[in-house]
Amino acid sequence: VSGPVVTLVLALGLGVVVVRRRSFAIALVAAQSLALGLGALDLAGERSSEFLVASLVLIVKAVALPALLLAVLRRTREPRLVAAAAGPLMRLSGAAAVALAAVALVPPLGLGEPYAGQAAVALVLVGVTVVIARRPTLFQLLGLIVAENGLSLLAISVPGGLPYVIELGALLDLGLVVAVAAAFTRRIYEELGTGDTELLRGLRD
Amino acid sequence: VTELAVLTPALALAGALAVCLGRTPRDADRINVAAAIVTATAALALAATALARAGEPPLRTRWLEIDGASGVLIAVIAVVGLCSALVSPSYLRTAGRSWFTAARSRRAYYVALHVFWAALLVVPIAGNLAVTWLVVEATTAASALLVAFTGRREALEAGWKYLVLTTLGLSVALLGIVVLAIGQARLGHTGLGALDWAELERAAAALPHEPTLVAFVLIVAGLATKIGWAPVHNWLPDAHSEAPAPISALLSAALLPTVLLVAWRVKSALSAAVGPGTAGALFIGFGLASMIVAVPFLWRPLPWKRLLAYSSLEHMGVIPRGHSTRPIPSADGSPRGATAPPRCGPPSQELRALLRLRGPLMFVLLRQLAATRRDARLQRGGPRSLAVRHVDAGSCNGCEHELGAAASPLYDLPRHGLDIVASPRHADVLLVTGPVTTRMATALRRAYEAMPEPRLVAALGDCALGCNVLGDAAELVGSLEAVLPVDIRIPGCPPTPAAIAEHLHAGLGRGY
Repeated sequence: VSGPVVTLVLALGLGVVVVRRRSFAIALVAAQSLALGLGALDLAGERSSEFLVASLVLIVKAVALPALLLAVLRRTREPRLVAAAAGPLMRLSGAAAVALAAVALVPPLGLGEPYAGQAAVALVLVGVTVVIARRPTLFQLLGLIVAENGLSLLAISVPGGLPYVIELGALLDLGLVVAVAAAFTRRIYEELGTGDTELLRGLRD
Repeated sequence: VTELAVLTPALALAGALAVCLGRTPRDADRINVAAAIVTATAALALAATALARAGEPPLRTRWLEIDGASGVLIAVIAVVGLCSALVSPSYLRTAGRSWFTAARSRRAYYVALHVFWAALLVVPIAGNLAVTWLVVEATTAASALLVAFTGRREALEAGWKYLVLTTLGLSVALLGIVVLAIGQARLGHTGLGALDWAELERAAAALPHEPTLVAFVLIVAGLATKIGWAPVHNWLPDAHSEAPAPISALLSAALLPTVLLVAWRVKSALSAAVGPGTAGALFIGFGLASMIVAVPFLWRPLPWKRLLAYSSLEHMGVIPRGHSTRPIPSADGSPRGATAPPRCGPPSQELRALLRLRGPLMFVLLRQLAATRRDARLQRGGPRSLAVRHVDAGSCNGCEHELGAAASPLYDLPRHGLDIVASPRHADVLLVTGPVTTRMATALRRAYEAMPEPRLVAALGDCALGCNVLGDAAELVGSLEAVLPVDIRIPGCPPTPAAIAEHLHAGLGRGY
């Protein structure tokens, strides 16, 4: 995968930590999946089976999942702004610090281009940061997809590629998890009148 | 054996499909029981076959690896799954509200239960690390819906926490698997076969140390979220206590040890590359952390399902100590040769000490459970009184008039233990009159949120029941059901004082 694509994917991931509107965050994640999908299609080249798998992943992650999330968004209008745990600058600094720490600490993973491995680990950690730093359920769901995109970045950097069974199985699992999480998002909204997970903190010992 | 291994999860999946054919809830109950008996019979036959050949080398095919450990786990999953499926109909008959509508609730529950069971049955016999990961991830999607089945706020919190934490954890584990695949690709091993347990074990000595160590730590740390090991155990007590009891049993007794088996297989396969000392130290670290977190909770007066969840966490803390017992070398000197199956040596001194510690811990747990049971016995049948908070959500005051009459000496509600109180914070029942106006909807939700659990909602009069007495005005939200879950329905326009007294009286002991 080329350097600019890796930088773009990482920047879009950091964008999800910062942006305020859920629709904009969904667009960022869709753009990230699109960039990764196009990168995979470029690598697949002439081989038809790899091309087919990469196209399927692209369609599901860049089109179907964002469409599902937009449908959920339309049915869960927030009555008022969900208060953020920290300001956007603080969130961006935290996520950037996590990403830089990953780049500094992760040893070479055996890839020809070490930056792809480091960026992949950084992106998974950015996904974890999104889940921790953002309160709305939909943002936490987007954090899961950002982490999955980090895995996709590493997967397309594997020499010879990952087996199709794993690629398609992981895609199916992602689809299942996102569908279940979308159902949760709607149900939580129906129950609380908002998607703010700060209200879901009743269970403690 | 291989045919039986394929048939068993397929039968569980077929059970999930068959449940959809049931037209009535009763049909769904019957199909669930029949499907569970068939699946459990096949699974027990598979377990018996696997255990019968436990002294021989593991059976390995393209997709399967069946050894003694598979046999033990399949037997456990079969028995726990069968018990869960058999008690589920009686649980569902007495369960109150659910996530799904009444018509779909049973089918949705049984489908998710059988899919979860099918995925669990695949994990111990899957012969490939990546395939095992895919199935473990599938268990998350199926079981998260079951954890939040009641649809209550706390259940949604537990289910959401479980879904997000375990999915993130498994993403980290997949990262480790991809790193391992990179190492295998550099050795020239590509394709799905490169991640077979047998292939990993064979190639482990040649794998580069540092990336493999990173992969091992990522995989075990990722699986730790699913096993419930501290410090990534936060979902475990919540999910176990909020899930329906049959599902809690499957989570505790089947899911946690099954995923622990996967971690153990990873350790066995990669110990040559990582070093047995390092691999064992990671397991013991997680185990000790889990015990340190769990044991103090056994002394606390918690609800019994939370207490058992901490007991599960404590079990998961002890088991890694047993895993760290070194296998006896085979005759040719290799730790796990193809000719001789692995046999564990005698337990180490520390393990023996740890097992001796379990006696007092079990005593503490049983004493706490007995105390919880005593409290439950005292509260059996629910309280003898109910505090009622009345909210007028847009009524014409006809219902209020009759409610006032019901509280008069003629009908004498207080004498029957029903008291109208001034604050929702002291109330057991929220009694709502009138069609809910848009301005009162938020106030109603706030009053409901202010009430302590367990709480009931009563709809008094036809307006609150959504009978359109006042038509479809733009200022009306509709029936009370659209805003809050209704437990007691008192029809009438307005209902008579006798009807109000009778319905509220029937609410005594409900929901407790």
